[in-house]
Amino acid sequence: MTFNVVVDVAWKEEILDPAGQSTAKVLQQMGYAADNLRIGKQIRFQLQAPDVAQAETAAREMAQRLLANPVMETYAVRVVAE
Amino acid sequence: MRVGVISFPGSNCDQDTLSALEALGVDAVPLWYGEKSLAGVDRLVLPGGFSYGDYLRSGALAARAPVMETVERAIRDEAMPVLGICNGFQILCERGLLPGALRPNASGEFLCTWETVRVASVPLGFEGLAAGDLLRMPIAHHEGAFSVEPGGLAPLFQNGQVFLQYSDTVGQVHALSNPNGSVANIAGVSQGSVTGLMPHPERAMADYLGSVDGRKLLRGWLGEGDR
Amino acid sequence: MNYQDVGLTAQEYAMISGKLGRTPNQLELGLFGVLWSEHCSYKSSKNLLADLPHEGSAVVQGPGENAGVVRLNDAIHVAFKVESHNHPSYVEPVQGAATGVGGILRDIVAMGARPIALADSLRFGTDRASQSLRHAVVEGVGAYGNAIGIPTVTGEVAYASGYEKNPLVNVMAVGLLPAERPISARGAKPGSYLVLLGQPTGRDGIHGASLLASQDFGEGTEHMRPTVQVGDPFMGKLLMEATLEAVGTGLLDSVQDLGAAGLTSAIAELAYRSEVGATVWLDQVPCREPGMTPYEIMLSETQERMLLVVQPSNMEQIIQIVAHWELPYQVIGVITGEKVLTIATEEDPAAAVVAPDVLAGACPLKPVPQEWAAEVRKTAELSPGFTPLTWEREWGLEVLGSPDCMSRAPIYQRYDSMILTHTVWGPDHSLAVLTVKGVEEGLAVAVRGPGRYAARDAYSGGMAAVARVLALLASQGAVPLGLTDGINAGNPDKESVFRDLMALLAGIGDASRAFGVPVTGGNVSLHNETHGEPIWPTAVIGAVGRHPHPLRPVLDAPETSGLDIVWVNPSGDASLNGSVFESLRQETTAYPRPDLARLAETYRVIGSVAQSADHLTAIRPVEDGGLFVALSRALLASPPSLGMTVELSADTAASQLFTEVAGQFLVFCPPETAGRLESAFGQWPGAFKHLGRVTGDGTLTIAAKKSVHYGRGELERTYARGYRG
Repeated sequence: MTFNVVVDVAWKEEILDPAGQSTAKVLQQMGYAADNLRIGKQIRFQLQAPDVAQAETAAREMAQRLLANPVMETYAVRVVAE
Repeated sequence: MRVGVISFPGSNCDQDTLSALEALGVDAVPLWYGEKSLAGVDRLVLPGGFSYGDYLRSGALAARAPVMETVERAIRDEAMPVLGICNGFQILCERGLLPGALRPNASGEFLCTWETVRVASVPLGFEGLAAGDLLRMPIAHHEGAFSVEPGGLAPLFQNGQVFLQYSDTVGQVHALSNPNGSVANIAGVSQGSVTGLMPHPERAMADYLGSVDGRKLLRGWLGEGDR
Repeated sequence: MNYQDVGLTAQEYAMISGKLGRTPNQLELGLFGVLWSEHCSYKSSKNLLADLPHEGSAVVQGPGENAGVVRLNDAIHVAFKVESHNHPSYVEPVQGAATGVGGILRDIVAMGARPIALADSLRFGTDRASQSLRHAVVEGVGAYGNAIGIPTVTGEVAYASGYEKNPLVNVMAVGLLPAERPISARGAKPGSYLVLLGQPTGRDGIHGASLLASQDFGEGTEHMRPTVQVGDPFMGKLLMEATLEAVGTGLLDSVQDLGAAGLTSAIAELAYRSEVGATVWLDQVPCREPGMTPYEIMLSETQERMLLVVQPSNMEQIIQIVAHWELPYQVIGVITGEKVLTIATEEDPAAAVVAPDVLAGACPLKPVPQEWAAEVRKTAELSPGFTPLTWEREWGLEVLGSPDCMSRAPIYQRYDSMILTHTVWGPDHSLAVLTVKGVEEGLAVAVRGPGRYAARDAYSGGMAAVARVLALLASQGAVPLGLTDGINAGNPDKESVFRDLMALLAGIGDASRAFGVPVTGGNVSLHNETHGEPIWPTAVIGAVGRHPHPLRPVLDAPETSGLDIVWVNPSGDASLNGSVFESLRQETTAYPRPDLARLAETYRVIGSVAQSADHLTAIRPVEDGGLFVALSRALLASPPSLGMTVELSADTAASQLFTEVAGQFLVFCPPETAGRLESAFGQWPGAFKHLGRVTGDGTLTIAAKKSVHYGRGELERTYARGYRG
């Protein structure tokens, strides 16, 4: 079966996000009341697996081992059958 | 002639650009992005660097700075000549003052190399440059792959807006002479009185630096030709 | 929390209690934990470092400050130092390397100097994981240096399996300051404010320095990994500009950057060096996260922070500068006359009360057994040299295309090497040559750290590291002004590692003395071990020299045909011990001990030939890969029509082509210069050899019994892409 996988990677709360900080500052200068802005990334791909559980396990493993750096990032994995 | 060089927080080629203009005998004026007026300058340069750390997208945050409204007005009302170099080019594209956008290099990496660029069309107001001229200048960027929306390329060529293309040392423009994945090897474009380029003319001002072609380009932009 | 939790020994704890006259409270214990850690106190290496020569006619500031300072001329001084960020770069390579660059740049700025150049020295393993690590480390070095706008002008990289889990990321920074500017890390006066500038403080890297860099890595230490520090070169740029502008007013008492151990180290060092005390109002420190404890605030290693010491009457002018650069700032304390450091919070006005000289100046140092000084210098056991009786054409390509010799373009093209427009020679040469605006003299900057030469004989390796880097300066006729040493080794509590450390430093000391060049500061990184396996003791030596005519560097490749090709090899020895060629075939053996007196004389002669060089002579030090690689690189750097023909004795061709014994130079010159070299070196058997001639046939021809040809294209491909077998 083919699964659509979406992995959202975000900085851990305690990690400094200079890009988010600067972006929020400019938004504020433009007059928007944006606060606590954090920039993350989204990784999407398709995955072949026998069932959703195995797809999830594989996707989680990929996130843990490569897509996110567990030292400073968290990730959320969503798996949807095509 | 007074030429203003606008520094944003994070600009880092501003001093080199000021020195280069001074070396050409120009009254070069440093302008901080927070200043309200353009101090009576005749022309403006947006220098290279990492304005706002290149965060979000290169040039995106600086393009929204209040000073850019003043710049936009000067272009619209007085057809003020504005030159964007590297990050300055990115800012002008993000502001919509130049067509296209600069994507991350095809390699996904920052790239600092010497390149040859070929003049495709001479922008408005330039003197002493002709189509087909070759210039050797360094590039140093992470987001330098020029791109346009589908269907946007042909009009650029038709309107003579393509200024520079990466070429080999004899002026042939092809895939092997494309360092960063720019569409049609485009290294610089123009629109009205506004010109942008990725290479750094201010770093090609003396033989000991590797080339003097930056003088030719900047003199051309100043409307003085190469004396 | 007890003393073991903060990494102190029972003896150290007893000593602290004795000095305080009571047991330290929890916060105080934490402060001692970091400042008495290996990383901050240098307790294992300080007595060894004391033996290095620090004095010299050009020295303005020796070790003990944020960076060493030497005199370029009457108007301009040069601040420079190498620093390591090994452990953080293994944990998180991009941020680890980036914050390493940020840290050393702030050291230079804290000396009141404007950074003008970076140089990096990297070591990686040979496995696949090491390749992605390298990619990420290079990304990090570039991300910070490129964005803050300081060019990376030179560097080096090498590979060995021992660095797999302990990559080395050493970065040297060089800055310029006006000669009249006072050195600004001491001079804090009672009544002046402590102004904390830059990034708000978060829980970044707490214990990063004290624990991470002071212990070995292993399975059990995973949980100790501190919160990773993230570099923000954008804020770093604003901080640099604001600090330099503030320093330029002459209104600051003192400047101290915040690095390892954060506020604790900055304030303790500042007070200790200025011989004053301080009161810190901890509630005033701007924090990024809510609920941070005093302990966390004092130990945080949040990047992009600087501490300015400002007299109340000067505050307004300094704050104006800081505000222009849009930097957050806060007055967090005051300098006091009594030599006591008080950490005060609203709840507890005496949360910690310690004397700066106890905190920053009383950590007991590891004693150096006197008998070892002679022992480590004793001749090493000589491994039987490996001497091939024949040589194969393929061997040349194999060495040229080996990871240790091939082109570094894929690395240095990711660094901006040209910004600030003073790079006359950048990373495509073996050393950097920089102009200094407004004056005739320029700078020669080089960095070398041949770990392989120290693998089996650390004393020999220490000497060789100094010899290698100074050979580069000699080839330009540049006058060495000073050296900075980046020492990287394993766990110093092991006798074998400590012995190696001692031998390495003895080698550096003896060589610096022989060449008459002082060491003005540096960095020691210990505990580079994983699962009990230490790295090779690796001394990364950075050198700064005064270049007499930076706009016209002495050539390193011939530009005309017909020139003589001369090989200078002062020892006359052609052993392959420690060479790349050997490492491709067998275990590395002990590197031949350099004859320092002879090398010093050689560099003097080469330096004077370089200084009087006509526009034809080209000089290239022979480095990794030996003569073959030097010839190939010179050929690839010369006009395409040029070739070279050299003749070697048939029976020892391989040894001559690939030996890496210290002090060798390859010289392309007119016959008069060749004659001058012959009369200088003819006295030493085998030291001068007329190898052949620069030709116009575009190929490298090596004649030894038979003639072997290498086409330019083949050499170019191998050098660029590596040997493909």
